Amino acid sequence: MTTTIAPSLEVEVVAGDRPLREVNREIRSALAAGSQVTVTEPMSRHNLAVALTGAGRVRLRGSVGYYCGGLCAGPDIHVEGNAGWGVGEALASGLIRVDGNAGMSAGASMRGGTVHIRGNAGPRAGIAMKGGNLVVEGDVGYSSGFMAHAGRIIVCGDALASIGDSLWMGSVWVAGEIKSLGIDTKVVEPPVDELREIGELLAELGISATQRDWKKIVSAEGLWYFEARDAKKWLMI
Amino acid sequence: MADDMTETSATADEDIVMFVDGADPNRPTGVASSYAEGRSTRWTRETIADIHAKSQLGRYQLRGGSTFQRNLPSFDDLVFQPATMTRLPLEGYRESCDTRTVLGDGLGQVENPIELDIPIYIASMSFGALSANAKAALARGARKAGTMTCTGEGGMLPEERTENRTLVYQITPSRYLLDLEHIRQADGLEIAVGQGAKPGTGGLLLGMKVSERVAGMRTLPVGVDQRSTVRHPDFMGADDMGIKIAELREATDYRVPIFIKMGATRPYYDVAVAAKTGADVVVVDGMEGGTGASPELLLDHTGVPTLAAIPAARRALDDIGMSGKVKLVAAGGIRSGVDVAKALALGADCVMIGTASMMALGCNAPLYIEDYEALGTEPGACHHCHTGRCPVGIATQDPELSARLDVDAAAERVYRFLTAMTMEATLLAKACGKSSVHNLEPEDLRALTLEASAFTGISLIGADRPFTW
Repeated sequence: MTTTIAPSLEVEVVAGDRPLREVNREIRSALAAGSQVTVTEPMSRHNLAVALTGAGRVRLRGSVGYYCGGLCAGPDIHVEGNAGWGVGEALASGLIRVDGNAGMSAGASMRGGTVHIRGNAGPRAGIAMKGGNLVVEGDVGYSSGFMAHAGRIIVCGDALASIGDSLWMGSVWVAGEIKSLGIDTKVVEPPVDELREIGELLAELGISATQRDWKKIVSAEGLWYFEARDAKKWLMI
Repeated sequence: MADDMTETSATADEDIVMFVDGADPNRPTGVASSYAEGRSTRWTRETIADIHAKSQLGRYQLRGGSTFQRNLPSFDDLVFQPATMTRLPLEGYRESCDTRTVLGDGLGQVENPIELDIPIYIASMSFGALSANAKAALARGARKAGTMTCTGEGGMLPEERTENRTLVYQITPSRYLLDLEHIRQADGLEIAVGQGAKPGTGGLLLGMKVSERVAGMRTLPVGVDQRSTVRHPDFMGADDMGIKIAELREATDYRVPIFIKMGATRPYYDVAVAAKTGADVVVVDGMEGGTGASPELLLDHTGVPTLAAIPAARRALDDIGMSGKVKLVAAGGIRSGVDVAKALALGADCVMIGTASMMALGCNAPLYIEDYEALGTEPGACHHCHTGRCPVGIATQDPELSARLDVDAAAERVYRFLTAMTMEATLLAKACGKSSVHNLEPEDLRALTLEASAFTGISLIGADRPFTW
């Protein structure tokens, strides 16, 4: 298959079995030229649309493999299918939307922007995140939010085991059921102003924010320091 | 004869049986000296002090520096066998010996392999563990010596990027300030999966060093005792890591080499797996490697000594046909150019130094004696990096202490030390008849001990064959 990069606003890049380097280079070139990109035949390939900068739009017409949209700063990426591990990892800014489900570590270590999963997300979603919003319309797997430094993980469905384990300053919001809290966490009353912000964010993403029973999970700060008075907590780990 | 003995025993005076210091009537079950000296080999002063400390703290002890383990084999267990009749030496004071070292050229995937003038570079030590002044001085000294440094865990410090000619950017499990622009400013990327000082655990930075600037770069609350994750957030095993490396190649447009750094634990198998992930360089950090802070037990009781790790790593690359394609960097307790030469002869392509470069900066210098005393130590014996109260301004984030390090002077010392190390290595190489330090080989060495021979496969001196089981 060949790829056409024309001086139009819409550019199609065919992934298929073509070399990854060529595919990503064409995506970057098209974005740099100010075009919007549609990637056809993504074939669940790994590392599609990684390390993109700027505010361009990329639509991937199908499912993608690992690290789609990884290390990006600024783009609007739309996956019309499922995504493998690490979708949107280390995102600095921009929006990554997945119509289906996401595998492990969605939004891992992201620093800003929004990762929006319309289906479920696998384990360790939002792990080590440093900022931004990870929004999951379905459920999230175990250990999601593990050691999240900052930012919000917003789960409209249920959270499996050890949610929010060892949080720093990040928070996890769960509307559904929580199977179990992670170590050193506590559930606090959601502040009104934050509830409003979350409602506005969900509305922007086209998600109904009405009448949800939000539980906000934050760090209990019991493991932040090596001190004798915490010895029993350390032994619980 | 028997009669004589009987007679002697019967008539022996207690004064003859007793030593001068005699038994203390208050301690009827032993002589005084055994009480006074307290020489139990099991309950040593250190053991007792350790129990006292833990019984007060309720946790294991933490400290900086490197292992205090006494039973490690050492590079001192090996000696060079210079050329004489069967080999021709080079003129040590006249003929040249190449020290140029290239990393990342083996697989043919990288547009800009790293070219160093010497086979030594400065290890990944974070801003956080070290002061900004120390990072800047290391970078400046390394640049002058024609070599490089590595960022360490805490993100890319602007001062370090500015001062360096060549800078490797470390990607750790914690992903502190992992930034695409920083990735693209780097001359190499190092994926850290462990370190020699405390393999199997993540980074540790105690609250005294989590200053506002450090906390900002790491997205942490100021003053917390930071414990980093040990597993990467978005890959688990070697296959996933291979995909991650492909992502990093895309992010850098295949310009720069990718390193994997590991603590030496099972170096033969770990290096073989690392090489198969597609990395250009594997860094093996032996258990003598230093750190800013660690549970003490990990420093002393985990890992493989550098001496034993290098031959195992080289054998792995040989066995999978990757020698020459994937470069091997050795680290962990390297003290001198002699150690460098021995590491190269054992199979390393390059050597990385951390603690020694800190000492070149001025670590343990006999200055500000009262501040060493306040830490309960003295110059020449300080390993109190974990306290953040470094008297000479290297392992601290305190502005007043940091200001004690003169960056110009410290950089010059680092440069001179790297130069001296290189001279030492080339002197040995030339004595062994080598026109390049990279031509040093196991045959140039002999082991002084059975253990060193068994660990390395180097011929036992005198026997001229390796010890075999």
